[in-house]
Amino acid sequence: MNRTNLVTGLLFLAAGVYLAASSFALPPGTADLPGPGFFPRGVGIAMAALAAALLLQPSDAPFRVENAGAILGAVALTVLYLLLWGTGLFAVRTAVFLVLLLKLFGEKWKPSVIVSVILTAAVTLAFGAGLRLTLE
Amino acid sequence: MTADWIAGLEAVFQWQVLAFLFAGVVLGAVFGALPGLTATMGIAVLTPVTFWISTEQGLAMLLGIYCGAIPGGGIPAILVNVPGTPASIAASWDGYAMSQQGKAGLALGINALLSSLGQLVSVLFLAVAAFPIASFALRFGPAEYFGLALFGVSLMAGVSAGQVVKGLLAGMLGLALATVGLDPMTAYPRYTMGRPEFLDGISFIPVMIGLFGAGEVLAQIAEKHGKAQQPPAALGRIWPKREEWRRMTPAAAAGGAIGTVVGAIPAAGGDIASVIAWEQARRISKRSDEFGKGSLEGLAAASVACNSVIGGAMTTMLTLGIPGDAPTAVLIGALLIHGVQPGPLMFRNHAPLVYSIVFLLVIASLLMAAIGILGARPLARALRIPDPWLWAGILLFGIVGSYALNNAVVDVWVMLAAGVFGFLCRKAGIPLGPLVLGLILGPMMESNLRRALILSRGDWIGALSRPIVMFFLAATLLSLLWPLVRGRGARRRSER
Repeated sequence: MNRTNLVTGLLFLAAGVYLAASSFALPPGTADLPGPGFFPRGVGIAMAALAAALLLQPSDAPFRVENAGAILGAVALTVLYLLLWGTGLFAVRTAVFLVLLLKLFGEKWKPSVIVSVILTAAVTLAFGAGLRLTLE
Repeated sequence: MTADWIAGLEAVFQWQVLAFLFAGVVLGAVFGALPGLTATMGIAVLTPVTFWISTEQGLAMLLGIYCGAIPGGGIPAILVNVPGTPASIAASWDGYAMSQQGKAGLALGINALLSSLGQLVSVLFLAVAAFPIASFALRFGPAEYFGLALFGVSLMAGVSAGQVVKGLLAGMLGLALATVGLDPMTAYPRYTMGRPEFLDGISFIPVMIGLFGAGEVLAQIAEKHGKAQQPPAALGRIWPKREEWRRMTPAAAAGGAIGTVVGAIPAAGGDIASVIAWEQARRISKRSDEFGKGSLEGLAAASVACNSVIGGAMTTMLTLGIPGDAPTAVLIGALLIHGVQPGPLMFRNHAPLVYSIVFLLVIASLLMAAIGILGARPLARALRIPDPWLWAGILLFGIVGSYALNNAVVDVWVMLAAGVFGFLCRKAGIPLGPLVLGLILGPMMESNLRRALILSRGDWIGALSRPIVMFFLAATLLSLLWPLVRGRGARRRSER
C-alpha cells in the first residue's frame, strides 16, 4: 500500500472517530427532535467508514513534496509575520516580510526590494487609505 | 415583475457599478492570463475588498473577475501553450497550433469574441430559465432541501477524477467544519474550543483564500515553475473573416449548448465543458483531421463552451443555492456576507438583484470581448511577470484580505491553516471542491434534515419518501456509482 492513502486514511479515521465521540458530549436530542450532536455524529461515523474504505484502496497519487525548504520557509515567515501583527510599523514589517519571501523564492536583492515596496504601497493604499482599515 | 426589472437595470447603470465591473473584467483577464492564477483565486482574494462598497458594486467586480478570467486564461494557452486556467486546456490544443502558424492574433480574437458570445447565450438561458426553476424550487420543503444538498456534495465527489472516496472524505470534512459554531436550531456552541471568534462558525472567505490562494501558491512553489516561454512578438490579424465566421458557426453552437448544460450541473466547470465541446465539434466537423493542428472550429467550440458555463452555473447557484463550479462557490460566500442568501427565496426577496446580475453578465460579456481584442497585446506582456512576484503578491493580499473581514488576526490564521491544508490535499490527491461544497451546504443540509425529522416525528421513511426527495436520493446514488461503473468499463476496454 502506498503511504499516501495510509496516512490520509488514518488522519481522516482519527478525525471521524473524534467527531463522532465528541458529539456524545453535545445534547443528543430525541428521535423526533434531533439535538446539536445528531448531525456531527452522523458525519463522524460516515467519515470514519469512508476513511476505512480508503485504507483498503491502492493509491495512485504518490505524496512527494519538492522544494520543501522554500515551502516551510514561506510558512514560517508568514507565521512570524502574523506573530508580529499589531506591533506597529505595518509598512516596514510588510516590506521586510516580502523581501525575505522573495529572496527565499530565489529573487535577487534589487528586484526583491522594489517589488516589496510596490506591493506594500499597493496594500497600504488599497486597504489602509482606500478602505480605511486599521492595519497596525 | 416589471418594477423589479427596471430597479435591477437602474442599479446597474450607475457609473460606480460600471466602473467596478470594468475593473473586475480587467482584473479577471489579468488573473486568467497569468498561469496559476484562477478566477476562483481572484474572487476569493478580492472578496474582502467588496465589504466597503455596495452589494451591486461588489457583485459587479466579482462577476467581472469571473467572466474575464476564462478568456484571459486562453491568452497563455494560445501564445505559449500554458493554459492560464483549467477551462483553457482545450483552447490550447488548436490555439497554440494557430499561434505556431503565425495566426496568434486570429486565435486570440476568436477566443475573446466567441467566449463573449458563449456567455451571452448562456445568460439568455439564465434569464429565461432561472425564474421558472426558482418558482418550482419554492415548493421544496426541508426534506427536499436536504436531498438537494446531499446530491450537490455527492455530485462533486462523484466527478472528482476517479477519487470518489477521497472526494467524499473531503465533502465530509467540509460538513464537519460547517458544524463549528452555534447549533443552527438550538444555538448550542459546538467545537468552538472556547473561543468566541468561532461562535459564528469558521469564516468562509479566509478558508477560500487559504485553499485557493495560499494553497495554490505553495503548490506552485513545490512545482518550481520554470520560466514561461516568451510569447510571439507579432500577433497579426485579430478579427476573423466572414468565411471563417461561417465555418465556426456549427462548432460554436454546439459549444454554447454543451457549455450551458454542463455549467448548470453542480461541480462541472469550464474545463469539462470545453473538452466535451471540442470533442463533439470534432465529431460533427467535415475537417475533423484538422483538430489539434490549428482548427478554427476546435478553438471556437472550446472558447464558446468555457464561458457559456457561466450562465448555467449562475442559474444553479441563484435558483437552488448550489454552486455550479468553484468560482460560484466563492461567490455564494461573498453574497452571504452582503446579506443575500442564494436560492429560490432570493427571487422573492431580492428580485431586482437577480435582474441586476443578468444585466451585469451581459455587459461583462461585451466588455470581455472589447478587452480581449484591445488588451490582447498588453495581456500577452503580462506573461513576463516572474512567478515569485505573483506568489508574494497573492500571499500578501490573502493575509490582509482575510484580516480585513473582521479586523481579526484569527481569520488570517484560519487562512494560513487552510492554505497549508489545501496544499497537502493537492499533494495527497484530495479534491478541494467537495470540501468547499460541504462547508457551504453543511448548515442547509443539517437544519433541513432536522426540520424534516421534526415534521415527520422522527420517521425517516416518512420524511424521505417524497417524490422529489426520492429523485435526489436516486441521483445521489447514481452520481456515486457512475464513476465506479465507468472505471470498470474503462478497465475492461483497456484489458481487451
